[in-house]
Amino acid sequence: MLAIEGLSKHFGGVQAVQRVDLNVRQNEILGLIGPNGSGKSTIVNLVTGVFPPTEGRVRLRDRDITGWQPHRVLAAGMGRTFQSIRLFGGLTVWQNLWVAQKAKSWLAVDRASMKKIEATLEFCRLRDKKDELARNLGFGEQRRLELARVLAAEPDLLLLDEPAAGMNAAEIEDLRDRILALKQRGKTVVLIEHHMELVMGIAERVAVLNFGVKIAEGPPAAVQDDERVREAYLGHRR
Amino acid sequence: MTDLVLDVVQQLLNGFLFGSSYALIGIGFTMIFGVMDKLNLAFAVTGLAGAYTGLLVFHLTGGPFVVVFLTAVVSAGLIGLVMELACFRWMPRDYPLASLMATMGMLFFIDEVFSHVTHGRPMAFPAPMGQVVMDVGPWLLRGDFGFMFLVSLAVMGALWALVYKTRLGLATRAVSQQPVAAQLCGIRLRRVNAAVFVITGMIGGVAGALIGSAVGNLSPLLSLPLTVKGLVTAVLGGLGSIPGAIVAGLLLGIVEYEALFFFGIGYRDMVTYLLLFAFLVFRPGGLFGQSRH
Amino acid sequence: MEFYLSLLTLFGFRILLGLSAYVVILTGQISLAQAGFYALGAYTAGAASSMWGWPIFPAILLGGLVGGLFGLLVGFPALRVRGLFLVIATLAFTEIVRMVFLNLKYTIRVGDRTIGPAAAEGFRGITYYFQNGWSSLQIVAFTWFFVLVVLLAFWLMDRSRAGAVLRAVGEDELAASSVGINLTAAKVAAMTAGGFVAGLAGALYAHYATYVSQEDFGVLLATFAIAYALIGGTGSVLGPIAGVLFFSLLIDGLRFLGDWRNLLFGVLIVAMMNLRPHGIIDVGLVRRVASLLRPGGRKAYAGD
Repeated sequence: MLAIEGLSKHFGGVQAVQRVDLNVRQNEILGLIGPNGSGKSTIVNLVTGVFPPTEGRVRLRDRDITGWQPHRVLAAGMGRTFQSIRLFGGLTVWQNLWVAQKAKSWLAVDRASMKKIEATLEFCRLRDKKDELARNLGFGEQRRLELARVLAAEPDLLLLDEPAAGMNAAEIEDLRDRILALKQRGKTVVLIEHHMELVMGIAERVAVLNFGVKIAEGPPAAVQDDERVREAYLGHRR
Repeated sequence: MTDLVLDVVQQLLNGFLFGSSYALIGIGFTMIFGVMDKLNLAFAVTGLAGAYTGLLVFHLTGGPFVVVFLTAVVSAGLIGLVMELACFRWMPRDYPLASLMATMGMLFFIDEVFSHVTHGRPMAFPAPMGQVVMDVGPWLLRGDFGFMFLVSLAVMGALWALVYKTRLGLATRAVSQQPVAAQLCGIRLRRVNAAVFVITGMIGGVAGALIGSAVGNLSPLLSLPLTVKGLVTAVLGGLGSIPGAIVAGLLLGIVEYEALFFFGIGYRDMVTYLLLFAFLVFRPGGLFGQSRH
Repeated sequence: MEFYLSLLTLFGFRILLGLSAYVVILTGQISLAQAGFYALGAYTAGAASSMWGWPIFPAILLGGLVGGLFGLLVGFPALRVRGLFLVIATLAFTEIVRMVFLNLKYTIRVGDRTIGPAAAEGFRGITYYFQNGWSSLQIVAFTWFFVLVVLLAFWLMDRSRAGAVLRAVGEDELAASSVGINLTAAKVAAMTAGGFVAGLAGALYAHYATYVSQEDFGVLLATFAIAYALIGGTGSVLGPIAGVLFFSLLIDGLRFLGDWRNLLFGVLIVAMMNLRPHGIIDVGLVRRVASLLRPGGRKAYAGD
């Protein structure tokens, strides 16, 4: 569904991503892991058009979307959440979804879309907070709102950038159930995470980055046993 | 050499020398931006206010130029501190618009004070080098412009020493790069901010006094043009870059004097604005733009 | 009575100016160009009614359209320039417009008078109201017709998705783009709308004052425009109105202070920004009032 071919990016002297190839299959949950600074977030930014790659191409359902701006990428069916929370703090929960909601008109939103917003709020358990200003929400609620907002745009593929960061065990369980529910509904999910239990628990395949290069890819168990992965995280064996 | 070339070079010389005062004002704007990440629109009038205070002393005591100059510098430094207190100290860090608006308010307040006190009329400013003129080959070097340049150079040198050779300078550089980390290292943000405003205020006072003595008078009508020129200089040089402000100030001076020669006073300012636009469109980072932001 | 009608008319221009700054500020763009659009509207409408024989209504609309056109022209390059750079660039725009009018001479003879922009002498003879015997009341009503239409339009916009979209752009451009908002469309649209409203305001002002000159359209006016919006608050369309009331009542009302009241302008701005940095009517206040006014039950949609 999503094909990343030979993607590279350098910033000044730093090679953040080097010739990464990755294929994401329809309706799968793919985990993307790697130590800090390995280029995971850069890949998300490259693929969604925050900045253009130095080399390589990105194809979404066989359409070349390399270098497209974020709003066009979303219209093509791929959405993302942010590692640090980037909500519209001065807007209410409802309004945060409202601006993202996939609908024709910019002035008003029809009844069908209204219902969808309600449903999305329900899915993320934010219904009773819908008139709260986003900046007044608690941390867990804000994380759920990040997800709810991108879901409102009805993308087919979701890139979740460290959604579990800062969450407690209960919230992570909650998140886990939600991601599985999304798969049930036919979505494709790429989960960028540090939380090993979560990723290894629900991902069908996992890809590992280190210093901007993909060093392993495969089912979770295989990746966990991989020498190179161990080295990347723990350092060389002495 | 033809007359045209002679004139062009003459204006180049004039502009280069006078541009040193624009450089000082630009330095003030750019330093405050570099350290606080906010713009102080009232900076130029701070310097002008210092110059006016010096003028006041002159009228009261008829004293020597040195006294007038020092008064200008010291009072501008104090006004700079007032500016910091009124417009920056208690403002939200993450909402720069509030400070921006407050500095606009101060700009108008100070400008109004000028108009009131002077009844809107220009007032003569002591010009010790006013009659001095030197010959440099076929060209004239105006003494007052030369004096301005030398003093500005001295101030820039002193500033360089301050920024690179003192602890305060080190702290200032730290804060301008990483304000949070700097605080965690024990740097007292309030003190650094206050110091920056006092120092830049003093620089503004120097500029105000130099311009006053070169032009021969001070007028409330100077407020807006000086503010704009200072901003243009800071933007052209790259907001946050002191060397940029210096180069840009000299460049602006040259462009102005050449434009004045070729187009006359009605269109001189338009050339400045068009230069600004050109930079904003093609090189928004300015000559030496910083990459922090 | 005359005095109050006059004051009301002045409020009208100021509110329009504040609203023109408001719509642009929502998208996070601080623009000092509103004074330039105002000037363009004033001169164009003045020329239309007093030199080309246009009736008043189309003349005012023309002023608005010219303002809107320039808003569009400024809107695109403005995309390339962020935050404080935009402040400086738009300041430069306003100054350039002012300088153009300082040098522009375009006059015609109408009967025994010379009418038209005459460079530094300004533009005399915008006397449509006088020539057609309009009373002060008619002038107020005509002016406020436009004010109310714009207020209504912006109020509806604020309640609609477009309003939330503009605010989202102002909050976080990257997030806005990532949820499908076309940043270019939003920001340019806001600048165009702002230009149109400022142009209308200028056009109306020119006819009220009968004489305009480039002096009236400088940085001071540009600052007033954003002051109305920033000090009044951008939480709702009532913000600029609050801003205008704040300044006008305090400054015009304190006429007994004579010349010194101009000093008050600057001091008040500084004081207000220290006390309420987000303005009088900010988003927080709007939410609190909205929740107080909301009936106990839940409604299906809560756009406001």
